[in-house]
Amino acid sequence: MNSLFSFKSKVFPETIPKLKLSLMLFLIILILSIKYFLSNLHFDYIPNLDNVPNTFYYDLANYQGSPDGWQRYEKVLFCVPLRDAESHLPMFFGHMKNLTYPHNLIDLAFLVSDSKDDTMGSLRSHLQEIQNDPNPNLHFGEIEIYEKDFGQIIGQGFSDRHGFAAQGPRRKLMARARNWLWTVAIKPYHSWVYWRDADVETVPSTIIEDLMHHDKDVIVPNVWRPLPDWLGNQQPYDLNSWQESDGGLQLANTLDEDAVIVEGYLEYATWRPHLAYLRDPYGDPEVEMPLDGIGGVSILSKAKVFRTGTHFPAFSFEKHAETEAFGKMCKRMSYSVVGLPHYVIWHIYEPSTDDLKHMEWMAQEEARQKEEEKLRKIYQKSWNQGFEDVQDIWKEDRINILKNTDMSKHRKIVVDWSGIDEFDPIEEEVKIVDTNSKQDKEKEKEKEMEIEKEKEKDKDKDKKDEKDKGKKEIDTSDSQQSSDKDKKSKKNQDQLNKQHVNDNDKVLADFDS
Amino acid sequence: MGILRNPYLRQIRRKPSSILGPLTIIILLCYLLFGTSNDPSNNSNNGQLSNNNLNIQNKYSYKPKNKNLFSRAPSDLIPNILPGDHISHFDLNKLASTPMAVYNKEKVLILSPMSKFLNQYWANLLKLTYPRELIELGFIVPRNSDGDKVLNFLEVAIKQVQTGPKEKRFSKITILRQDNDSIRSQKEKDRHALSIQKERRSSMALARNSLLFTTLSPFTSWVLWLDADIVESPTTLIQDLIAHDKPVISANCYQRFFDDSKKKESIRPYDFNNWVESEEGLKIASNMRDDEIIVEGYANIATYRPLMAHFYDANGDVNTEMQLDGIGGAAVLVKADVHRDGAMFPPFPFYHLIETEGFAKMTKRLGYEVFGLPNYLVYHYNE
Repeated sequence: MNSLFSFKSKVFPETIPKLKLSLMLFLIILILSIKYFLSNLHFDYIPNLDNVPNTFYYDLANYQGSPDGWQRYEKVLFCVPLRDAESHLPMFFGHMKNLTYPHNLIDLAFLVSDSKDDTMGSLRSHLQEIQNDPNPNLHFGEIEIYEKDFGQIIGQGFSDRHGFAAQGPRRKLMARARNWLWTVAIKPYHSWVYWRDADVETVPSTIIEDLMHHDKDVIVPNVWRPLPDWLGNQQPYDLNSWQESDGGLQLANTLDEDAVIVEGYLEYATWRPHLAYLRDPYGDPEVEMPLDGIGGVSILSKAKVFRTGTHFPAFSFEKHAETEAFGKMCKRMSYSVVGLPHYVIWHIYEPSTDDLKHMEWMAQEEARQKEEEKLRKIYQKSWNQGFEDVQDIWKEDRINILKNTDMSKHRKIVVDWSGIDEFDPIEEEVKIVDTNSKQDKEKEKEKEMEIEKEKEKDKDKDKKDEKDKGKKEIDTSDSQQSSDKDKKSKKNQDQLNKQHVNDNDKVLADFDS
Repeated sequence: MGILRNPYLRQIRRKPSSILGPLTIIILLCYLLFGTSNDPSNNSNNGQLSNNNLNIQNKYSYKPKNKNLFSRAPSDLIPNILPGDHISHFDLNKLASTPMAVYNKEKVLILSPMSKFLNQYWANLLKLTYPRELIELGFIVPRNSDGDKVLNFLEVAIKQVQTGPKEKRFSKITILRQDNDSIRSQKEKDRHALSIQKERRSSMALARNSLLFTTLSPFTSWVLWLDADIVESPTTLIQDLIAHDKPVISANCYQRFFDDSKKKESIRPYDFNNWVESEEGLKIASNMRDDEIIVEGYANIATYRPLMAHFYDANGDVNTEMQLDGIGGAAVLVKADVHRDGAMFPPFPFYHLIETEGFAKMTKRLGYEVFGLPNYLVYHYNE
């Protein structure tokens, strides 16, 4: 303002037309700008209904959802469908306590359906606990719990739920449940709706802000699950987030009106690019990818998406149902649908029936291997004893034992050559008898040696018995072996004897020649 | 200097303040009016919050932002913080929609998208005999000057009823202002031009859905769609429609007029959106592009569909039912479960149908049946 006045005061008479010009310019700009602002500022009439009972006025334009909603008091409706989820609730409420989005701006809505366990009781006690916490920052806004049973067609086991044939009817039923939840829970003053399954294991506490700041109508993170080592550590979990492909559209055309295409099953090969498979563990978590179908584990959407009627079709909508069809319907309603390929949350690992079978087999196998190991130790022990290496001892013993059987050093064979030239049968007989008596003596000696050997062996046996009493088998085999040895040694003896005779004969024969 | 022949440019060059002055003023004004301002009272709360999450503190700022001077502070727009253990529980298994609605104290939600407030409509609404403590009302008004006018009238009318004797008050009334820009012109001629039908009805569908899903509560059993230009109906409208116990049931919409040829008051059919599908209609649909719609009541799309409007028999039984494939929104009673299952008014071509007709189709896709009462009349306002 000062500049304008000072400008005026310095004006000379000859510049008056130019002054008028500048004033005109100023006025025109001012009027135009005011008009522009006024046209933007629609002064909506706001009825004053403060003192009128049970009457409420909401301007839906105030609840559109902005990328920094947590700074603008924007309310989030947090929807959680629950079924037999008692075991997951402690983990779930652990995540809830850590949420960084201002808790008083989060309204919770739970739908408990067809539960056989005490999901309801557990849910209530958890909520009571968190709402009565001394720290007021933990308290959530409005909390509504709904109960509705839809009649369960399919069991809740992993394979029951994820089998191919079960998918169509199951999806339609789940879609109904989701619709029942949000249609009763959503209020005019909600700006955002966040869908979350209770069985998410690892999730950043800033999840709502992380998704919200992208300012998209519908946005989902990538969902993976950890796996046991023998299955490869990790795996994409949510295959319902995808981009439509020509293959998918062609397939859709061949199916009848009520058919439901479910992604991730061999029966329907669509060749669609999946959000899950595009993950790069080191990728930028801010990267966005436009999607056509989405999964329901964690969806953040602007409340206007639901308000204007987008829902989870419980019928075959463009050959899909539930969350995938929700994505398709969002597209029809011209809302943006986006996934974050490198921003990952982790679903819990639930083993499938095959996995359970395999795990059972693994447990049995482990027990069997332990048993085998134990047995092997015992066998090893007895084996070592039963087949002790006696080579070295034998080397020493051998000389001592064999020297007694080597008769060449102890006894000289004296051959009586007398009368060899005159043949006298009687004398001959006498001689033979003579040699026989000699042979008898030898045999007696040998028997004595054998007795000695046996005594030695007996001593060995005693030692063994002391060492190990339990190994009868081996002992018996041992004794068998020893008896075999005895037999062998007898045979050897016989052979030796025969040789002796032969030798004698040979000598005789040599002499003859 | 000689280069600047243009006197305006020369002026600016000689005296830059002549242009800079106004510009700075405008920028200052803009800043004052539309710049963000912070509410210091909220910062303490914010401090506590960030203490809780020291590790997250750097990632996002939790400092509250307020909007400009002319809009209300966002904190005013949300309901106050609730007591610590505010946990409500609803067993939807016990919720039912039965023909014995009054006896079972079943709640009815009456929904009317309103671009024009008609005294006759309001008078007719007040004449309905269904107990008011079981009735919730929902209105949605367009985001334009028409909406402002409607709000003015509604405010007065509602104040009169809701501050009156307790037994005559409605259980709950919700008024919404539509968020998206509505089509400005709502004149009779424009409204029925085929070229803008799709756009108009798409916008209408969005309004209906916004109204429906924000007002549908866990204890609503029935939803009555009653157009804001229905000025006459039987006073037992709700009970009569409920008695049929159908998922979706539509009354026949006629109009009173002065017949010049006969020189007397007469009636004529008005709403042609209640129809039964025909071979011809299906044939036309099968040859259409995905984003095209069939609208009933135009000579250039001859569907030869049997229209309920033409089935009216003045001497016939009022309880005569007929199965329908498409409905209009004049006076339609819907079991709330149908809406909870997801039946909405498609703002996009759904099987080449849109809004109420698309709703009928979606209802059928969800496995429900749609009926009409050809001899049960409600009357449309005559402009």
